[in-house]
Amino acid sequence: MASQKRIAKEFADCTNNAPAGMSIALANDSDVHKWHVTLDGPAESVYSGGKFGLVVTLPPEYPFKAPVVTFATRIYHPNVTNDNVGSICLGLLKPENWKPASKLLGVLEAVRLLLVEPQPDDPLESRIADEYRRDRAEFDKNARAYVQRYAKGLVKFDGTNVGPDAGAAGGSGKRSTG
Amino acid sequence: MYQPEPTAYLQVSAGYGIAHGLPEFTFEETPLGLNGGGGVGGGGGSNGGYGGGLGTAGASLGGIGGIGGAGSLIYTSPIFSASSSAVGPASGPFQFHHNTSNTTSSNASAASSPHHQRSPHSVKMEPSLSNDLAAEEAAAREYQPRLEGPLVGKRTSSTVITEEYAKADPIYVQKTIVLPQTYSHYRPIQGDGNCGWRAIGFGYFETLVNGGSKAQVDSEKQRLESLNSYIENVGGLSPFVFQDMAEETIELLQRISNTIGDRAQAMAELEGSFNNPDIANSILYHLRLLASSWLKGNPDNFSAFITSDIGVSGYSTDVIERPNVEIDNLGLVLLVNVLLKPIGFVLEVAYLDRSIGSQVNTYRFPEEANGQHPSTLGPIIHLLYRPDHYDILYPAEVNLTPPPQPQVTMQQEVNLQVHRASFSHNYEIGNTPIALHSFAAADMHPNPLALIPGFDTPPPSLNPIITLATGSPITSYSPSPASPWMPTPFAETAQQESPTSLPIRPQAPAQQNHPLRFSEYCQLPEYVGNDTWRGEPVFQTSTFKNSHFNVAHYNNPNFQPEEYRPEADDYHDPPPRAGSKKRGSV
Repeated sequence: MASQKRIAKEFADCTNNAPAGMSIALANDSDVHKWHVTLDGPAESVYSGGKFGLVVTLPPEYPFKAPVVTFATRIYHPNVTNDNVGSICLGLLKPENWKPASKLLGVLEAVRLLLVEPQPDDPLESRIADEYRRDRAEFDKNARAYVQRYAKGLVKFDGTNVGPDAGAAGGSGKRSTG
Repeated sequence: MYQPEPTAYLQVSAGYGIAHGLPEFTFEETPLGLNGGGGVGGGGGSNGGYGGGLGTAGASLGGIGGIGGAGSLIYTSPIFSASSSAVGPASGPFQFHHNTSNTTSSNASAASSPHHQRSPHSVKMEPSLSNDLAAEEAAAREYQPRLEGPLVGKRTSSTVITEEYAKADPIYVQKTIVLPQTYSHYRPIQGDGNCGWRAIGFGYFETLVNGGSKAQVDSEKQRLESLNSYIENVGGLSPFVFQDMAEETIELLQRISNTIGDRAQAMAELEGSFNNPDIANSILYHLRLLASSWLKGNPDNFSAFITSDIGVSGYSTDVIERPNVEIDNLGLVLLVNVLLKPIGFVLEVAYLDRSIGSQVNTYRFPEEANGQHPSTLGPIIHLLYRPDHYDILYPAEVNLTPPPQPQVTMQQEVNLQVHRASFSHNYEIGNTPIALHSFAAADMHPNPLALIPGFDTPPPSLNPIITLATGSPITSYSPSPASPWMPTPFAETAQQESPTSLPIRPQAPAQQNHPLRFSEYCQLPEYVGNDTWRGEPVFQTSTFKNSHFNVAHYNNPNFQPEEYRPEADDYHDPPPRAGSKKRGSV
C-alpha cells in the first residue's frame, strides 16, 4: 500500500531524472518490485563502451528494508562478485546502513559512481581489489576484456550474458559476502 | 585472581557480621561472602558493595543460591573483557595480515585496519580464531530475532509480568510482585527494535482515544500536518521521502476522529493500524523523522547529550533515522518534546532493573513534570522499561471507560468536604441525628448514635453521597482502630487488632514484617546482648492460641510455624502434663 505508492513515485522519479547513461523499465508491467536498468559504462571508466544490466529488487517492506541491486551482466570489478549472481557491495544498501529516507535515484547514482571509482578497501573480490591497487594496468586490461566478452550487444536480464560460473572464468580469489 | 583487595574486603565484611553476632543470618551469609570473594576473585570495590546489598535482600527471601549465581555473573564479565583486551594488542598486527590475505571482510574497519592498529579493540581476534569469529560475525549479521506475537498486544493483566520473573533475581521478584498493585494491566509491545517508538506512538493515539474529544484529535491532525514543513525545512528531508509516512499518521488520526464517539471502535481502529506492518512502519518512521527534525531544530539544547563524536546530524541519521534501532534516552526526550509536550501529555517510565529498592523507579518526561501531583498534569502515558525493551502500563485506578463527567464528581467531593466540616462543627453543639449520621458514614467514624436502634442505617436519601465517598480521598480521614473514640460494640470486632486491655506491649508496628529491617544499631553488642529486639513474650497457652501473641500466629513479628514432629512425642521430653501423667498411671 504505502510501499506501492512510494515505489510508484520512485519509479517516476528515476525514469524522469535518469542518471547519465541509464534507462529504467519494469521487469514486467504488473510488478513494480522488480526493475531492469540498463547502464552504459561511464565514459571516464574502463567500462566505457559496455552495456550493463542491473536488476533492482524491492522487498515488500520497502522502503523500510533496503532494495537489492545485482549486475545481470558479468563485470570485472572489486566490488561486484565475479560470478553469475553479480552481487554489489554498496555501503548504502547494507541492511544496517539503509535509511528509508534514501531515494532509489541516489542508489542508482551510487552504482554508476562505483564503476567510475571502484572501492578496493571494501571489496567483495579481494583478488581483483589487490590487483586494482598493485597492478592497475593489469586490472584495466582484464576489465576491458570482460567488457568485450560480456558487455557488448543487447543487454539480457535472464542470466544468459553472465558467462560461465566464476570457477571457469578463473583467477577468482576467495571472497566473503557483504 | 588478579585483584586480591576486593577479596579481602568481602571477607572483612563477612567477618564484621560475625563479630557483632547478628544471629541466624551471619551463618548463612558467610559462605556467600567467601564464595563471591575467593571463588571468582572479586570484581572491584563497587561490586563488593553491591554484592552486600544483594546478600541482605537474598537472605530475606531465602534465595542464597540464586544470589551466588547472580554474583558470579557480575564478576565474570570484567574478567573476560580484561583478558580479551590483553590478548588483543599482542596479536593485532599478525591478525591483520592474516585477515587481508586469506579472508576478506566486508567490514570496512577490519579491511582498513592499518589505520586502526593503535586502537586495541578493533584487532581483538586471535589468528586461530579469526575464521570462527568471521563465521560468528556473519551469523550475527544474518541473525533475525524470532519475533512472536503481534506488534502491539492486547491489554493484559500485569500479574503475567510477576509470573515471568518468579524465578529471576530476587530484586526483580520483589519489584514485580508489587508491580500489579500500582499498574493493574500492561500491553506487550513486540521487541523488534522499534518498541520504544511503538509504545510511545501507541500511547499517544490511545490517550487521544481515551480523551474522547474530536476537537483534540482534529487539532492534532492539523498540528502534525503543519509539522511536515518542519521536517522539510529544519529536518532537511525531501517531502518525496516522508510524505507517504506522514500521510499514514494523518489518516489514522482521521479514522480515530471519525470513530471517536465509540471508544471500542476507535481502539479497534488503532490496534488494527498498529498491527498492520505497512501502516505501523510508516507511522513509526514518521515519529523518528519528527524526533530527528526536532534535534536538528534545537541543536543547542541537545548536542551536549550526544556522547559520541558523530554530532547532531550524525546522530540523526545514524541513530534516530535508522529503522529498527532502539530509542535511547535522547530519542525519548526528543519525541516527547515534539509529540507529547505540545498537547500536555506526560510520559512516565517505570524502570524495572536491578537497582536497590522494592519498587520500580519512575521518571517523567518532560523533566518538569517530575515531583508534581498527577492531578496537576495532563494525561500520563505509562511505560514499563526493562533493559532494552518498552511495554505500555496501565495504572490500577484507571478505568477502561473514563468517568463520563469527572468534573462533577470533583465538585461533589468538594461539597462533601464542606458537609463534613459543617457537620463536625455541629456535632459538638449537638445536632439532629440525621446530620450526624451522614457525617459518620461519610467519614467512617464510629458513631455512638448508631447503637440506638433505628439510627443504625443512614436514611436512603443520603445514600448517593455515601457511595460517592467510598474510594474518594475522604476515606483517608478514618481513624486508627486504636482511637479512644472506639465504642465497645466496634471494639468487639476489632479485638484482635487492639487488645488494649491486656497488660503487655501492643503488637509491634507493621514495618517489622520485613525480617531484615534492622537499623545498624541492632548489631551493636549492647543491643544484641540484652535481646531487646526479640524480647516478645511467648504465649502458647490455649487462651492465646489464636492470637498474634502466639509466635505460631502469622501476625506475630517473631512468627515461627509450629512443626509436627512425631519423634518429639516418642523420644524427647514429652510435654509435662501429658507425659508424666501417662508414666505415672503406667
